[in-house]
Amino acid sequence: MFPKKTSLAIATLGALLLLLDFAKLARPFTLSEVLDFRPHDIPNVEPLAPIPATNRPVTAFKHPIIEPNLMDPHDNLRAFYLALWRTELGAPGAITRVLHYGDSPVTADSITADVRSLLQQHFGDAGHGFVLIAKPWAWYGHRGVEAQGKGWRINAATQVRAKDGFHGLGGVSFEGDTGATSHFELAEDHAQMEIHFLHQPGGGVLAVEAGGQKLGDVETEGPDKQPDYRTFPLAAGAREIDLSVERGPVRLFGVSFERNTPGVIYNSLGLNGGQVQSVVRYFDKPQWTAELQHQHPDLVVINYGTNESIYADYIERSYPGELRQVIERVKTAVPRASVLIMSPMDRGQRDANSRIATVPTLPRLVEIQRQMASEMGCAFFNTFQAMGGEGTMARWYDSQPRLVSADFTHPLPAGARKVGVLLDQALESGYRQFKAREQRPARGAPLSKVTR
Amino acid sequence: MLLTTAAYFIFLAAVFFAYWFAARYRLGTLAVVVFANYFFYARWDLAYLVLIPAASTCDFLIGNALHKETRPPVRRLLVTLSIALNVGLMASVKYLSILPWVLPLALSFYGFQSLTYTIDIYRRDAKPADSYLAYLASASFFPTTVAGPITRISTLLPQWSKREMLTSQEGGRALFLIGLGLVKKFLIADYLAETLVNRVFDLPKLYSGAEVLAGVYGYALQLYYDFSGYTDIAIGSALVLGITLPRNFNRPYAAQNISDFWRRWHISFSNWLRDYLYFSLPGLRSRWKIFAYLNLVITMVIGGLWHGAGWTFVVWGAWHGIGLAAHRAWNALHGNPKLTLTRGARILCGLATFHFVLIGWIFFRASSVGVARDILYQIISGTISFANITPAFVLVLIIAAAAHFVPDRWYAGGLELYCQFPYYAQAAVIAALAVAIRYVAGSGSAPFIYSRF
Repeated sequence: MFPKKTSLAIATLGALLLLLDFAKLARPFTLSEVLDFRPHDIPNVEPLAPIPATNRPVTAFKHPIIEPNLMDPHDNLRAFYLALWRTELGAPGAITRVLHYGDSPVTADSITADVRSLLQQHFGDAGHGFVLIAKPWAWYGHRGVEAQGKGWRINAATQVRAKDGFHGLGGVSFEGDTGATSHFELAEDHAQMEIHFLHQPGGGVLAVEAGGQKLGDVETEGPDKQPDYRTFPLAAGAREIDLSVERGPVRLFGVSFERNTPGVIYNSLGLNGGQVQSVVRYFDKPQWTAELQHQHPDLVVINYGTNESIYADYIERSYPGELRQVIERVKTAVPRASVLIMSPMDRGQRDANSRIATVPTLPRLVEIQRQMASEMGCAFFNTFQAMGGEGTMARWYDSQPRLVSADFTHPLPAGARKVGVLLDQALESGYRQFKAREQRPARGAPLSKVTR
Repeated sequence: MLLTTAAYFIFLAAVFFAYWFAARYRLGTLAVVVFANYFFYARWDLAYLVLIPAASTCDFLIGNALHKETRPPVRRLLVTLSIALNVGLMASVKYLSILPWVLPLALSFYGFQSLTYTIDIYRRDAKPADSYLAYLASASFFPTTVAGPITRISTLLPQWSKREMLTSQEGGRALFLIGLGLVKKFLIADYLAETLVNRVFDLPKLYSGAEVLAGVYGYALQLYYDFSGYTDIAIGSALVLGITLPRNFNRPYAAQNISDFWRRWHISFSNWLRDYLYFSLPGLRSRWKIFAYLNLVITMVIGGLWHGAGWTFVVWGAWHGIGLAAHRAWNALHGNPKLTLTRGARILCGLATFHFVLIGWIFFRASSVGVARDILYQIISGTISFANITPAFVLVLIIAAAAHFVPDRWYAGGLELYCQFPYYAQAAVIAALAVAIRYVAGSGSAPFIYSRF
């Protein structure tokens, strides 16, 4: 016997839902979905680009791969490619130096760690490069180096800023009184360590130890405020390094680790919440210029945009001007270096139907970056497009394994690796094309061009 | 076919009408249920149409043989065969790739239910099914196969025989449970997950200690509302066919101690572990008391490993096993202090138990032990920022926490009121929920957390 009341309730509910569907108040639905036996409940499996594990030198292909997302109409990457070529040929001291500025993904050394690893596999490992002396954010990291600091007053350009705007190469200043310490553990041996500090009136003394042996002191007293550097050799096996303030105050910006072998140093210089605005407004111009010049970079990557991407008015009114200023500062400071504008990754948000969609203003921001790069004679890498363009966050979020975080902004390790591989492939493909081009007219004499 | 999709509810309505149309004939109702079961499985993957009937037929035959057989070695062999079959099926679907593609639905709950059949017969606690169709209808009963509640087949079988009529009270209760389950899933669990919990567990170092702690509290409530929401829909779905499934939750975060927690959380699973695993482990009747404690830990570690082959689940299982063993040891030394506790002490015990469980949930949810460690570090760091916590998240968190402690009589009152509504009002309430879900929760829900186990 039919349960009358429940049957009527279910039938009425069905009728109401049909009405709601007709009025577009309920979720759209077609009856055929019930009979759909395709296994659509399985998440997409996003194939991960394999990381080529080879130490073979990159050869110049006769028919190089065209990389549509790396735009370099002005041949701006020439300096970088020439440096890579020298490095590849193993010329003594041929180190290719890259400075990669960016926001939170770079802060955690995701993406950059993968690019570093790939370039170093192919061209040689010249060391970890720049590392902050403590974690301004728990999120900060550098793959292959464990850094812990205690007792430092930390001023990051995106947070509690240093009043004088002296934020060093990495955008963060550390000031410590007597007793402040930093401890580093390296995964591999390095030949030397450079300490980035500030000479200042009344500056104190920093003691440096490696592998339990005291290497020396850094005297930071000086007549006026000026960034300075002190290099210490590291013995084989000295992988634990300690810095301690013997007499305060001491102001540090970071340390760099290098090897004495030809290779690539890929510096990861991320700021949580970083924007071009942080550089323009809060980096002291002369001091940052001095830091850039000290590095002699072959390539400077400017990889901001994620944090700006949700402010439509700002993007239209102020963003192009501020991006222009950052590029000008870099070009003025290191005119021989290549400059690459790297667009942000896709960024998602829930739309009115609660689907994950690209932030509406992001494509516009990427377009501004592309135009500005072209105008200013820089190269441009369209990360957004290389990932797959609009809707990538939704696809990467639903993929198995998941590639991005539930904030639809930050990559998970697998996603970061994918973006890192994309950037590396673009750069290396561009390099192969460059080599092929250079070798064509003057065969057998490329070395003269790559010797600096 | 998730239990929250429109496809499922159209399917359920069709099964409801077909079932009651055929209700005069037992064979008819069983045929409808078996067809519905296999249709349901096929919607996940057509491969189940081979796996499930084959496994069920084996268990049915083993059950009959166990009943007739009197020689203990042969009976042991038969029950071992059934255990190997079901554990093998669960493990092969979950951990091994027996097919060139991934099966979306783990068969754990099917396996657990099937094992209750053969083990109960082996122990002479139950008799075999008198009908092959009744067994097929019970073993793969569609409302229970995604994530339970794990129902002993011996309690399902008699229910196919007593079909008379669905009372309006039962029908109202079924619809109420389905509606309640949808609210729990869409408006609480998914909301908490989307707004903070998933982000915090993905990249904990990006968030302050306070945000991570809020995310962990959020997860505790998300998991409860997700799973109990699923269970409500499953129980409601069975009830529209007049089948009663066991209760699976009883305000678990109100537990006074860890043993109490496991009497309130995923009750059908903890009962299964107790009855079919813990009591089967060696040494329980030994004079060495240590076995009783050790077996608790072993049982919970195995329970943890059932959730997934990862260290996080081992830690989670061991954490609860050690907690249960420690509580038992405490009771053995001091007696059960329940009756002597003051109200304040009971609140403190409740809070301590909740936070003990909370630490376990960190490992349960984290993608690796490293991530769990990061979460704990962030909480201990004491960094305070609420930039990523929205007022709406706090509001839902408070409502979710408060609703957890709603007295049973309020719940019963709400249910009674709903059941008294005329049919059109009952329908209107659920339709209104559909609209609310459309606007608050959006177009799609995440799969139930427990469906992957």
